[in-house]
Amino acid sequence: MSFWEFVADRWDRLLAESLLHLSAVVQCTLLAALIGVAIGLVVYRSPLGSAAATALTSAILTIPSFALLGLLIPVLGLGAPPTVVALVLYGLLPIVRNTIVGLGGVDAAVRDAARGVGMSRLGVLTRVELRLAWPAILTGMRVAAQMLMGIAAIAAYARGPGLGVEIFAGLTRAGSANATNQAIAGTLGVVVLALALDGVFALIGRYTIARGIRGQ
Amino acid sequence: MTAAVTRRDRADRLRLLAQPIAVVVLVGGVLAWAFSTDLDSIEAQSINASTLLSVTWDHLLISFAVTGLVLVVAVPLGVLLTRRWARRAAPVFLGIATIGQASPAIGVLVLFFLASGMEGMWAAVLPIAFYTLLPVLRNTVVGLQGVDPALVDAGRGIGMSSAAVLRRVELPLAVPMILAGLRTALVHAVGVATLAVFVNGGGLGLLIDTGYKLARVPVLVTGAVLAVGLALLVDWLGAVAETYLGPKGLR
Repeated sequence: MSFWEFVADRWDRLLAESLLHLSAVVQCTLLAALIGVAIGLVVYRSPLGSAAATALTSAILTIPSFALLGLLIPVLGLGAPPTVVALVLYGLLPIVRNTIVGLGGVDAAVRDAARGVGMSRLGVLTRVELRLAWPAILTGMRVAAQMLMGIAAIAAYARGPGLGVEIFAGLTRAGSANATNQAIAGTLGVVVLALALDGVFALIGRYTIARGIRGQ
Repeated sequence: MTAAVTRRDRADRLRLLAQPIAVVVLVGGVLAWAFSTDLDSIEAQSINASTLLSVTWDHLLISFAVTGLVLVVAVPLGVLLTRRWARRAAPVFLGIATIGQASPAIGVLVLFFLASGMEGMWAAVLPIAFYTLLPVLRNTVVGLQGVDPALVDAGRGIGMSSAAVLRRVELPLAVPMILAGLRTALVHAVGVATLAVFVNGGGLGLLIDTGYKLARVPVLVTGAVLAVGLALLVDWLGAVAETYLGPKGLR
């Protein structure tokens, strides 16, 4: 069976796995963004806190994903829980780092001006600082999502959902008729999803970045 | 900008200090725990000094073979792509490498295995090297492109040949970028090398896989923690090298 015949034959299954893969990555990126921005907000005013948060999250990133997954299996079992925890942990670094850089890069004069016109601390944060830091935060999410695409494929080892299932099936059935087709379908599928999601992030950036700082 | 730079410096310094301590505590703790618990016969086959040493050695061998291969391919390629006559080709190569990077490591590994039929260490080294090429290639290109053209002109002006300018001006100035790329590649390689077990390449992934398949938690945890410790250690060595190997004038 040629590759395209294989894809046509298994289209429903491949589509379902692609959607699972995509939804796992998107949900974990959003979760990582919530946690990462919260961490960034807590530490960005303290130099030591920012250094500690950046150092810790970048140390997490050096951990081999297969090893982290292995460590999570005895604690969380198989399937979705270890997948979600691993993906969120890996997604944190770019988001935390970019949040800190983005918020730290807000001009102090702008902040003072906002206080000066009578905005509350919360108002300054939500209406000035976070909006100015948003391009950096969005870039962090974009980088995180790209990375998680590949890591999610490994999660199939712990019975996680997604296209990794096809890759591992191709590996265990090496030599049988469709092994290579399965591995190609899984790998190519991840690449296509990664490129598509990257395009979506570019679009989100175009429509959500404040007009005044666009193109900077 | 300067604020961001000092903040990163501080984070780097913090890691330089804390990371080796974390590695010693983590690895020491887990080894002490693994050797002090009652191991059944299957666990004892994996958790003994000689097996642990040999899989760790295999793991390092894969990682360093990958890094060596990447260094030998990516740096000369980066130099070629920044020559005046090849500048147009650079975006094409970087584009291909970026797509390569977007593909999942496990997929690249499995596809190479299925396509070539190879097994063992080199079946892991070659695809992992392909996969980790990008950071070094990109950093070499960016590092060389970042060299002030006035310096290159000055070099040519005092009568240096273009090869001498490359060797004595451009490459030394690009060394910090190349080293940073190499450190990323090495850490990547140590991480992806845990997947070598799927193509019978050995390494610490073997312990993780064995522990998982035979439901022996001590074996799984020992393998995973050793892999984590090794990655943190290699990253730390890279950071130390970055600090001390760059040209003195740029430090």
